Amino acid sequence: MEERLKDAEKIVKDMEKENELSRVGELIKDNRIIFDYKDKKYRVRLLNLKEKEELDQLRRKKFGQLMKDKDILLEKDLINQYKERGVNIEELDDQLKKLNAEELDFQIKLGESISKNEIESILKNYKEQIEDLRIKKQILNTQKNLLLEFSLENSLLNYVAQVITYLSLEEQKEDKWQRMFDSLDSFQTYEDEGLINIAGSYSMLLQYI
Amino acid sequence: MENIYSKIRNLAKSIKAQNLFVAAKEINGIRLFRNSFDFSKIQEIYLSYLYNYDSINRDIILEKISEHVFDSEIYEDSYILWKRKSNKKEKDNNQNDLKLVVGKKITFPTNKG
Repeated sequence: MEERLKDAEKIVKDMEKENELSRVGELIKDNRIIFDYKDKKYRVRLLNLKEKEELDQLRRKKFGQLMKDKDILLEKDLINQYKERGVNIEELDDQLKKLNAEELDFQIKLGESISKNEIESILKNYKEQIEDLRIKKQILNTQKNLLLEFSLENSLLNYVAQVITYLSLEEQKEDKWQRMFDSLDSFQTYEDEGLINIAGSYSMLLQYI
Repeated sequence: MENIYSKIRNLAKSIKAQNLFVAAKEINGIRLFRNSFDFSKIQEIYLSYLYNYDSINRDIILEKISEHVFDSEIYEDSYILWKRKSNKKEKDNNQNDLKLVVGKKITFPTNKG
């Protein structure tokens, strides 16, 4: 009885794994992603040449606006301001570079050990060192990202992500795909944030990650 | 959308995906995606994982390494990284050897008589 239960658990696990793989398969089978939201079908797709030009125009316009805004600083100016207040981002960068170099060194050593079929304890030791370095890197990266969250460069990146979603989101109407929004303003003021967030995540998978 | 890289890796590592990848390389007409150009970022990443896992699988078949490499993504990445580095080193050495042959100074015997 216990064995049958174990078998059943294994079958369920295998099925879940298979389902998971099919879901990822759906995301990569084409350069567009179709998804359901509140009983309606939507899709995001790669931008065409005309849309890329529109994106470029909007990005340049936004860059000009951000440059004129005195409350928004370029990353390098923000770094200098932090420095005056005793927060040194360049030091964080140096630490990150050092950790990256250490990680690469351990990875090469681990790779070589694998190629020589060395014993598990050696491989495990390298693996743990790499994991440890990755945690340290993650902490530093989070610190740095939080400090630079409001830089001009970050604001521009967020804006570009929004524009890409606005340009690439389509809804299905009577078996035909139509652009969901005819203006950036209507996209930005759209009341259902849930749809915008899902579409945003999918469009990033297609164009960025 | 968490761990999307791990999910893409798992798909690329699967027997089905690897078989399809090998078949697509060998048989004209078998396609991995519906689109044959304008690949999305996620497709590009998936392709690079397909190549990496194909390379690992071939080394396992040739008994260069054991299947334990699949125990951890860190093992897989480290092995691929080391392999690339040692291949590059080998290639550079071969190029240097070639230069030695091409640039070799040949002295012809002079006829002093």
